[in-house]
Amino acid sequence: MAAHTHEGAHEHEDPHAPIEAAAGEPDYFDVLQMAVRELMVEKGLIGAGEVRAMIETLDAHEPSRGAALVARAWSDPGFKERLLADGTAAIVEFGIDNYDGTKLIVLEQTPDTHNLVVCTLCSCYPRPVLGLPPDWYKSRPYRARAVREPRALLAEFGTEVPDEVAIRVHDSTANMRYLVLPMRPEGTEGWSEEDLAELVTRDAMIGVTTAREP
Amino acid sequence: MLEKRRLVIRPPHDLGGLPEGRLVRSEHDMTPFEKSCHALLNVLDRHKLVNTEEKRRGVEDLGSEIIGKLTYYERWAVSASKVLIEKKIITSEELGKKMTEIRERLTED
Repeated sequence: MAAHTHEGAHEHEDPHAPIEAAAGEPDYFDVLQMAVRELMVEKGLIGAGEVRAMIETLDAHEPSRGAALVARAWSDPGFKERLLADGTAAIVEFGIDNYDGTKLIVLEQTPDTHNLVVCTLCSCYPRPVLGLPPDWYKSRPYRARAVREPRALLAEFGTEVPDEVAIRVHDSTANMRYLVLPMRPEGTEGWSEEDLAELVTRDAMIGVTTAREP
Repeated sequence: MLEKRRLVIRPPHDLGGLPEGRLVRSEHDMTPFEKSCHALLNVLDRHKLVNTEEKRRGVEDLGSEIIGKLTYYERWAVSASKVLIEKKIITSEELGKKMTEIRERLTED
């Protein structure tokens, strides 16, 4: 994060005003988070290397995991059934570390129903399968409008949902997260899971777009 | 009066259904600060020190002015510190002392 050294033009209006916080002064918020971490470690409440290890976990969890999961569901009907019945158990079976302990619900796109995921209160997101959410997912317009005018919002992603297709919007919570299972594109019969996964984008698994066409 | 009522029934995080403008599809790679904050809060949640709901409530309690000015992870860092103080897991004195110590360490050279 850029250092918070430039608070506004007013600092420069008075030529005698000290120019505070020269480059290199530690950022207040960075110092704050370090202080919290170090106090927790000193009190023995968290392990010394735990935050570092968690950063590695965060780095390792990317949308490609979700894409591989979807490709498996497209290829293996039994797995798809288990995934839809109990998302959390199925991702663990698939080898994904459900590191945040949340419950995962998988929503299947069908010709009649288009599912869309949002967190109106904050930024809850299926992090174990998709990694960290993009900025726009956490933005005011997305959170406010997803439940008010999903069709118009989806159109801004270039996703036109026909009127006869119902849109279901799922509002995530701290403990319950959603993943969209996109429809498998036509013309992909006999494809390997690896090739199928290439068609599955992060945005399709949030429900703002559909899977890529082959 | 309407404005006051809105502030009460719509706390700053409760955005669902409000009229809003066009979506800006922004994305950026996480900075080291952001990753550290994220990881720290995950670890605090794992140890039931500050869980996700407490973190969100801590952000909400900052009020709309601070929420509007701080970045997403700056809010997380402040919320975590405030919740930990509220729960008497740390004191504000300890935190202040530790922050001074870190600042001195970082500016030593």
